[in-house]
Amino acid sequence: MTSGNTNADTDLVERYLAGDMTAFDELMIRYERQIYRVCYRFVENREDAMDLAQEVFIKAFEHLAGFRKESSLKTWLYRIAMNHCINHVKKQSHEFVEVTENIGSVRASVQSHLEEREQREHFRRLVKQLPPKQKAILELRINEQLSYEEIASISGRSVSTIKASVFFALEKLRKLVKDPTLMKKV
Amino acid sequence: MFGHLKAEDFVNLMDGTELSATQRKHIAGCSQCHATWEYMRSAHSEMSSMETDIPEPDWSSFRSSVRDELLSRSIQRQSTVRRWTGWAIRPATAWALSLLLAVGVTTVTVLWKSTPPVPYAAPKPPVVEPAAEVIEAGPEKALFEDVMALGEEQQEQLRRMLESSPSVTYKR
Repeated sequence: MTSGNTNADTDLVERYLAGDMTAFDELMIRYERQIYRVCYRFVENREDAMDLAQEVFIKAFEHLAGFRKESSLKTWLYRIAMNHCINHVKKQSHEFVEVTENIGSVRASVQSHLEEREQREHFRRLVKQLPPKQKAILELRINEQLSYEEIASISGRSVSTIKASVFFALEKLRKLVKDPTLMKKV
Repeated sequence: MFGHLKAEDFVNLMDGTELSATQRKHIAGCSQCHATWEYMRSAHSEMSSMETDIPEPDWSSFRSSVRDELLSRSIQRQSTVRRWTGWAIRPATAWALSLLLAVGVTTVTVLWKSTPPVPYAAPKPPVVEPAAEVIEAGPEKALFEDVMALGEEQQEQLRRMLESSPSVTYKR
């Protein structure tokens, strides 16, 4: 996040608080995709991710006056999203149902594509086994490509802790690949 | 083998940070660290490939739903504030006043009961100078007739008695 972006965010926040609704649209356009993607990674379906992202933005806009600018707006929004999603996943964890794909009969020409897809699905299921916070850190780093400093600021931990968390998340995935019996029923 | 790479070293390596000569030498010779590094690299690329599957929603409708929800919550909040500061202020004031009155009455009662009771002193009867002599007198006419009916000797006795007792009180 450059200081130019931060200044632009600060300006947009001030304009929104002064009642300028065009600032609302600009803020949304800047961050809606990123926040939605974070939410999607937790729930893995479009509708739930949209609901979660909407709740995150409502929470953020309602508390925008209290945003103290100690961190960037991006970090602040990610923090709200991460906490909101982790709470949601914890509440819903007992309701998770395993989704199995019924591939049926397939033609040989698409066999390799399906295998690749299946492998990806399997990996996704493994990632789901990680504790919510560890999973979030891994996703923010690898898929959202946030810096370790940004993730540390979002989660309120040190950079070393975040790096260790990424390592141990990948280590856990390795153990699950080696020994699938370690997998919980999801 | 000593000098295994730490968690942070693997993560730095994954991010493309150059390892020191010692660490490079170690990872080349240590099968454990080499296997860990190989897995980290493949898991990292596997994770990265997962991101392409995220379906995009209709952003303009998403934005308007957030805006509408914010607006409706703001209206709700305003009406709640108005409810508390508008008509509801009257019952609130009444409550406050009754409470104040109750506290006042209780305080006065407690204070009243806590002061030590003053012993009852019976009022003293008014001091009346005793009359030297009380003569029962009848009506004026009857008295006059009684005096007229007295003999000379009795009249003289009465005159002397009156002269000698100036503090005689006549009671009617």
